[in-house]
Amino acid sequence: MSRDSENGAPGIQGIRMSGIVKVYPPDVLALDNVDIMIRWGTIHSIIGENGAGKSTLMKVLYGITPASAGRIFLDGRQVRFASPRQAVREGIGMVHQELMLIRSYTVWENVVVGSEPAAPLGTLKQAEARARVEELVTRWGLNLDPDAVVGDLSVSAQQKVEILKLLYRDASVLIMDEPTAVLTPQETSELFARLRQLNQAGGTIIFISHKLQEVLDISDEITVMRKGKRVMTAANEGLSRTDLARAMVGRDVVFAVGRQRSEPSGRGGTVDVGMKPRDAGSPAARGDERPHAARPALEVRGLSFTRPGAVKPALSDVSFDVSRGEILGVAGVEGNGQFELVQCITGALKPDAGSIRMDGRDVTGASVMERRRLMCSVPQDRKHTGSAQTMSITDNAIMAHHRLRPSLSARWRALLDPRACRGFCVDLMRRYSVVAPGPDAALAQLSGGNQQKVIVGREFSHDTGFVLLDNPTRGLDVGSIEFIHRQILNKRSGGAGCLLVSADLDELLALCDRILVMYEGRVAALLDGETADREAVGRAMLGLELSPEPGPGPGSEPEPEAGAEPRTEVGSE
Amino acid sequence: MSLALELVRSSLLAATPVLLAGIGGAYTYFANVFNIAMEGMMLIGAFTAVAGSYAARSWVVGLAAGIGGGLVAAALFTLFAVALRTDEFVTGTAINMLALGGTTYALRQMFGVRGAFMSGQIQAIPRWNLPLGPVLGGHPFVVYVALALALVADWHIRRTRFGLRLRAAGEDPRVLDAAGVSSQAVRAWSIMISGALCGLAGAYLSLGYVTLFAENMSNGRGWISLAVIILTRGRPLGILVMSLLFGLFDGIGMSLQGTAIPAQLTQMVPYIATLVALRVYSLRSRNEH
Repeated sequence: MSRDSENGAPGIQGIRMSGIVKVYPPDVLALDNVDIMIRWGTIHSIIGENGAGKSTLMKVLYGITPASAGRIFLDGRQVRFASPRQAVREGIGMVHQELMLIRSYTVWENVVVGSEPAAPLGTLKQAEARARVEELVTRWGLNLDPDAVVGDLSVSAQQKVEILKLLYRDASVLIMDEPTAVLTPQETSELFARLRQLNQAGGTIIFISHKLQEVLDISDEITVMRKGKRVMTAANEGLSRTDLARAMVGRDVVFAVGRQRSEPSGRGGTVDVGMKPRDAGSPAARGDERPHAARPALEVRGLSFTRPGAVKPALSDVSFDVSRGEILGVAGVEGNGQFELVQCITGALKPDAGSIRMDGRDVTGASVMERRRLMCSVPQDRKHTGSAQTMSITDNAIMAHHRLRPSLSARWRALLDPRACRGFCVDLMRRYSVVAPGPDAALAQLSGGNQQKVIVGREFSHDTGFVLLDNPTRGLDVGSIEFIHRQILNKRSGGAGCLLVSADLDELLALCDRILVMYEGRVAALLDGETADREAVGRAMLGLELSPEPGPGPGSEPEPEAGAEPRTEVGSE
Repeated sequence: MSLALELVRSSLLAATPVLLAGIGGAYTYFANVFNIAMEGMMLIGAFTAVAGSYAARSWVVGLAAGIGGGLVAAALFTLFAVALRTDEFVTGTAINMLALGGTTYALRQMFGVRGAFMSGQIQAIPRWNLPLGPVLGGHPFVVYVALALALVADWHIRRTRFGLRLRAAGEDPRVLDAAGVSSQAVRAWSIMISGALCGLAGAYLSLGYVTLFAENMSNGRGWISLAVIILTRGRPLGILVMSLLFGLFDGIGMSLQGTAIPAQLTQMVPYIATLVALRVYSLRSRNEH
């Protein structure tokens, strides 16, 4: 891993990028005259909001994207990388945010592809390749089977294969692009231990992230970028999250978009949003609560689903409630059934067994449109499911409203009133602080954060008692995340029940009243949001501990608070 | 010679063009190129082979011209589908139409005939009298080349550096690009290989199977190859077996021609067999789930 650096004067030992400019035609300035110095043997983090240019800068360094202007020096010697291959030859390797692996190939095949040892006629020297990979696995304690098929491995193991690819190519500089986005806390600390180990062996690590605490944990030096410019570079001494966030956003950021829990009794029902009392005679109502409000926003019972052709069920006997005025978080390593759960709730998938009730009504077999009267939903995939990128903001803003909101229609229900639609959009853009050229601009022209505000605004404008949120802040900048978190909390205090599926544990811990952890399609644990910590959630995510299966007795309530969640069941009949 | 022996002999002869095109298509299959132009590349190869053999009075030139014709068609496909990123399906369809119309037109313009062009000046591919018995011996040597190529392709795709990159390009081209190997180049290579082999298949048709060129003489064999490739998921040895099966049914169809069954029906036999095979395969793969 170590790198000689005899040539060049002291002080310029390392990678220096000087005056880097990147313009995406016609007029997007992605990198604006960036100077950065990465010294050999350091762990150097680059942080910034989405679109700040940190990934672009690294793509320039790695030879994926040509810079419009600027120079790169290694130890004072100017280099020019036209392709990743040339960067690799200089010992620079990159682990992409999206893992670049052939899923049907074995570990060793993935490692060697592109740099295969071959005999004449191009015959692969399989034994030699495999042995080299095995040797690297042993030397770095990676705990991988060279013959395992990559598609069968966990995400964190796949990431190790990516690192292995770089080690195989003798990379001494590792660029890690948001490597922790897909990892559990335990896996993250394992990764950090590994990066430190590589660093101690002389390797240089460039760590890209927008998670401030991680950056503070691992870095020697930190560079902050904002809007294509380098804002600051500092040694990681005495820096705080607040310092970094201020540099990233350019203003103070409030971290404690806290829960400010509504008092426990309120969670069941003090709130209601224009709901018509339907069964006024219900004896269950206590005090001044309206009877319907006591009904959970969402009741899921015994939900099971197996994908056609799959052996393991994606969901197996999942049961839980979301009360009104509550945010129930769903945590889990990606692919443990969260996606299928969301799809069953939205109506995109038909479950094999079980029932779903919204506001007391059975919607298990209901169409998507019928469900939309009872729920709103912010999907995971902003670009494809959440919006139509090439259509205007107005068109995107009125989706679903165009069917459910008579005020958007002209005299005939089948015709939309363009002026009303535009007005609806303008109002939405104002309320959700959408920065855009105007309501007629194509959604694709907006930044990710503003697109998401349009989507969240559209969905939250539905007056429904149940809100489904699937990774609503994925890939957004700190400022937009803060805004959307506030909106979610507003929705909760407005009395809606929210189901928040998120891969971001910090988000769940900050917002949720309760956290449900999924593991292999089951409810692995149901934790109290107030007392849960990363460790406990992380253990449940890895399937290391299953919550005690509560029996029917009253003592087994997950929350002791008097009857707050009488219907909660944890994955058992 | 007994009828059964004759049947097996003729099935080997009929299987060869399907096998050659199928091996070529295996490369594009693994590179995830939707190559429906095999029919057209084969037809062009058949024509240029006859033209070359006729003009030079040499089967060597004819064979080279056949392969060259397939390569030119493949280059056209590569230019549009890989370099200019047009739709593979539309491009392939266009090449098939170009091949049919172009060869028919050239046949009339260059040789002044309609339907078929025959001449003593066309030199056929020589037969090898290998001491392999009555079934395997005495075929045009391309038959043996095709059988050998099936084995070579199997090794080439599974065991070599090129094969590893080829399959990677098909499964996820970004990974290969990130590893510093141009996936576009690998895809282009796969199309060129398939073009050369389809051209060879065409040359075999017009200089080995028969010694003439007839309009649309590939007659759907390129499509059969496509079906065979999909059926066998591109494995060359599977393609070998399936091509021989196709040849066998082709031979059965031929030998039924002397009977009371109308020729139109007997000619359908190999195609019906292919349909049945596809259906059996779809049932089997459904059961796997």
